[in-house]
Amino acid sequence: MKSDSPDKPEPGSPHPHAGRDDIPPGAVLREHVYDGIEEYDQRLPNWWLWTLYITIIFSFGYWFLFFTSRALPTDSERVAAEIQRIEALRFEQMGTVDAETLWQMSRNDTILAQGARVYSVNCAVCHGANLEGGIGQALNDGEWRWGHDPMDIHSVVDLGSPDPMAGMQAWGRQLGPRQVAAVVAYVLSHNDPGNMFTAADSPGRASER
Amino acid sequence: MAKAPPKRPNRDSVTTINDDGSRFFLHPADAHGPWVIARRVAAVLLIAIYVSLPWIQIGGQPAVFLDFINRRFHLFGLTFGAGDIWLTFFLITGLAFFLFFTTALFGRLWCGWACPQTVFLEHVFRRVERWIEGDAPQRKRLDAAPWSPEKAFKRVLKHGIFIVFAGLIAHVFLAYFVSIPQLYEWVRASPLDQARAFGFILIATGILYFNFVWFREQLCIVICPYGRLQSALIDEHTINVAYDERRGEPRGKMGTEGAGDCIDCNRCVQVCPTGIDIRQGLQLECVACTACIDACDEIMEKVKRPRGLIRYASEETLAGRKTRYVRARTVIYMVFLLLGLTVMTLAFSSLQPFESNISRMPGRPSYVTDDHIRNQFLIRLGNKRGEPARFHVEALSMPAGMRLVGWETSVELGPYAEESRPLILQQERAHYTGPVPVTIRVRTEDGRGVRERTLEFLGPDPRVFAP
Repeated sequence: MKSDSPDKPEPGSPHPHAGRDDIPPGAVLREHVYDGIEEYDQRLPNWWLWTLYITIIFSFGYWFLFFTSRALPTDSERVAAEIQRIEALRFEQMGTVDAETLWQMSRNDTILAQGARVYSVNCAVCHGANLEGGIGQALNDGEWRWGHDPMDIHSVVDLGSPDPMAGMQAWGRQLGPRQVAAVVAYVLSHNDPGNMFTAADSPGRASER
Repeated sequence: MAKAPPKRPNRDSVTTINDDGSRFFLHPADAHGPWVIARRVAAVLLIAIYVSLPWIQIGGQPAVFLDFINRRFHLFGLTFGAGDIWLTFFLITGLAFFLFFTTALFGRLWCGWACPQTVFLEHVFRRVERWIEGDAPQRKRLDAAPWSPEKAFKRVLKHGIFIVFAGLIAHVFLAYFVSIPQLYEWVRASPLDQARAFGFILIATGILYFNFVWFREQLCIVICPYGRLQSALIDEHTINVAYDERRGEPRGKMGTEGAGDCIDCNRCVQVCPTGIDIRQGLQLECVACTACIDACDEIMEKVKRPRGLIRYASEETLAGRKTRYVRARTVIYMVFLLLGLTVMTLAFSSLQPFESNISRMPGRPSYVTDDHIRNQFLIRLGNKRGEPARFHVEALSMPAGMRLVGWETSVELGPYAEESRPLILQQERAHYTGPVPVTIRVRTEDGRGVRERTLEFLGPDPRVFAP
């Protein structure tokens, strides 16, 4: 850009382009010239300006609703509320499970069909297709490392083994309360209620940790 | 409303925006001729394609069904999962270079012939307006007339039909994302029960209505980036809708001594939907709609002069030289176009009918027992086809003493089903020599899909076990 550009308006000059015949009378040029290219300074379309005004108005509304009056919950508040709702649902479903219910479920064919499905997909790899054990413990011999109460077994499935070296992860998050209960019922159905005992070398009960 | 003097288009400002920033609303006159007919045929075809694609069934799914809710994308019998999204890179760049290529050769064919804005505006909404409010002078008179029962009736009828058409276009658009049966179900449900879908339709209808009733050419002139790219895409050899200045100038009424062929009847300006004068040369606002070609040809017939004073021609042709089609820019665009097309074909042919992802189970990277080192993974399989499929998972390149546990038999997944299963690698301690890569191969039983993925089998430093 030349510093001595002839188009640079002189201070106080009413019409800087007077005398130029290559622009229409009354037209206003911007100050800059790049490689001889000049730019008209024309008014923006009103609708275009309105998009700006509307965003300004919107920002006041937004500021008022979210930051001043707090009439609407922010995103983080909504996420927190949703997590609360999901947790409440979980607690609701978990509250119905106890040792007695699990034994009852272990005699219900519908629950067992669900449990068998969950078992074959998630558990059979380590505990064997017939619960005979493998990488993991055998689940059909009545002997339980972390306590023989059905809620102990439920706890191991839901929260994982108390022994971090054992490799049994917490399945509760992945399966949800219903499937955990169904798979525990399925495992119980392969055991005799009269022959359940805690292993002699058990470090303690899982549901009491 | 005072009668404003007729506005004369110029190259220094946009005709449709007045000096004070207000809108100058155009009433383009009707053009008649072969180009208008050809464009109308193209428009009807394109609208038919747009409306029918969600209805046509290919392989049990709509021809185009972008199922964002389930993250499955059905395109002409192929099904893509979220993991195939990288393919769209080649699709989009391929389409872009195709557009560049045609633009370098023939200018804004897209704008004039295929863009939804032009197709719906010129061949649906303006037709309705023409039918109800009459031709350009009648429309101008109606605009200026005071309110009367007749004007109110015409306006209510026009806006009513506009809203109905805008609503139809919005519904078809939504059908691309939710499928026709789902859309039909939502349409029959109470708006209160389907507040989100109803809200979307309401907003989309509103935007389309506003666009086609008032905004119109402003979209092409001010908002569309393609129009702004023109000066970078075209050159003197590009064929555009152009006025033959050498033949037409100087303008003059019939019988004027030494005048060119242009009789300055202004028909080309009256029919222009963006309000320019094509005789001032190629301009940003021109959407190459060919209305001025037909308008001028009609006049030339009447005054017994050859047609084509305005026609598809390049600047070189108009200057009396030859148009070259093979030029650096067309060749480069074509090379990129072919390159994109080739890569796209190769990439699409590698498309697998299933998805598989392997991740480590939460917990430790490796478990050490008295006899074994063990790594625990979860494999997530997703069947992308509308029929059940059996999957085999096997480990390749396993070192001595290693075993893949739990995948001795294959696994069946129902149509579009997804499932996570444990995948366990276990090596005898006696054979363990340190971390080692293991390749997992997943294949369908019918042999239509194979995917491989290399995992790192991790474990403690082998010196821990040294005797």
